[in-house]
Amino acid sequence: MMRFLPAPPQMLAFIAALFISCTPTFGADEYDYDLVHSSVSFKARHLDIGWIHGRFNDVAGKFSIDREDPSKSTFSLTIKTDSVDTANKARDKHLRQPDYFDTKQYPTIEFKTTSTKAITGGYEVTGDFTMHGTTNKITIVLMGGKEHSFKDVKRVAFSTELALKRSDYGFDKNAIGAIGDKALIMIDCEGVRK
Amino acid sequence: MGIAATTSVIVVMMMVAMSRSINENRLNLICIVGIGVGLVIGNAVLALNLSWPPHNGLDRLLLVIIPTVLIVELFAGVNRFPPAAAWSLRIILSLATPRILLHDSVYLSLSDAWPAWRAITTIGVCGLGLALAWSLLSWLSRRRGGISISFALCLAIQCSGAAVMLAGYIKGGAAAIPFVATLLAVTIALRVVTKTATSRVKIEKPDHYLAAGIVGIGVVSLFGLLFVGHFFGDISQTPAITMLFAPLLCWVTEIPPLRNRRPWFVASCRLALVAIPLIIIIIAAKRDFDREMSPLLENMSSNNRTLPMSHQLSQKAI
Repeated sequence: MMRFLPAPPQMLAFIAALFISCTPTFGADEYDYDLVHSSVSFKARHLDIGWIHGRFNDVAGKFSIDREDPSKSTFSLTIKTDSVDTANKARDKHLRQPDYFDTKQYPTIEFKTTSTKAITGGYEVTGDFTMHGTTNKITIVLMGGKEHSFKDVKRVAFSTELALKRSDYGFDKNAIGAIGDKALIMIDCEGVRK
Repeated sequence: MGIAATTSVIVVMMMVAMSRSINENRLNLICIVGIGVGLVIGNAVLALNLSWPPHNGLDRLLLVIIPTVLIVELFAGVNRFPPAAAWSLRIILSLATPRILLHDSVYLSLSDAWPAWRAITTIGVCGLGLALAWSLLSWLSRRRGGISISFALCLAIQCSGAAVMLAGYIKGGAAAIPFVATLLAVTIALRVVTKTATSRVKIEKPDHYLAAGIVGIGVVSLFGLLFVGHFFGDISQTPAITMLFAPLLCWVTEIPPLRNRRPWFVASCRLALVAIPLIIIIIAAKRDFDREMSPLLENMSSNNRTLPMSHQLSQKAI
């Protein structure tokens, strides 16, 4: 027959600490990047007369949105550089090589927030943007943030555009010729939460 | 890359002029310094946008591996340095080179595609391949010698550069040019010195002498370009392995019917044997390039005709 012994005070304190640490926080909503309803695309000048468009097909991310205290909201995005797609296989192959994205050395492009501020219609987000092995602090304006619930799935959507210079991220200046130094990145993303 | 070649020749000739008596070790040291200075100037002129600390495979090849080879060969050339210790350093460097070149890349990220056992096997096999090529060519240069070994290495390096470039990695392919220029220049300068400064050159077989440093730098640069071209560029495995071991075909001239022929005949045989697989690979690489890249190039062929070839390739492909 089993005997239940009275637990010592240390044990009780440990159980209490464990319980507190496992209690969910209700302040922020966590969302996962929805690859099906999102896109990360880019365009760069070609010969200074036109634009080349492309996209990244493999992206992951997480958003944590705190409606009560927006400064606690966080956003992170990881783009697989190998998934670059400009609708031309030969060009994609070349873009993956070390003259451009160097996907074997730098497999991801990443963004992680360091501070968030609520603005009218969205958030102003400052964070570390890492591309081609170089990290720069950038500020982007995420417009949106509206929520939508459908069949127990909660969704939130944001969109943003950012302009950056490839030379700021260690891309070879000799390879910046026909294709312009400046690139525009367009992000339209939905987050899902069950 | 005339400037790299000219620099190497000037350095070699100046050092020879400053030396009263030149033994084998001294001549090896002169060659290594000549190659080193030529490479620095050549890569500076080529503006390969190298970064320190090194970020990618090519940075690590040019800023870590090649200077280490130069130092190892300098030590190996010192009079009192035991040959066993020199070879130990060479083997350690051979085994470490693949690991250094792959540093921080997806191949060492222990992902599903590249688990630890695969990464370790790849590094081990590639390191042994480099050690094998290095030791066999060094052995041949000690046993029989001849500047044709250096020419064969230069041929292989140049073809590797072209193949890497045709596979789409322009900068990686361009990096071959200073290697070929300096190695060729120093080899020819060495030959001139052993022919003309006979009273000061105190070596056993001056007509057959080939500095160990030339072989070492040649083999490691060939391996490095192919390794970076394969793992970071798009050159496939079979051509890379073939080009790495092509200079070993120089060993064919050691078979009895060829061994005792006149030096010029042996040299011609060596170069012809090494050239055959290299030419086949380059033709195949050009065919692939025409099939894949030509549609991109044709649309722009009229725009960049005045630019150098490497710049045209880098710009047109996009």
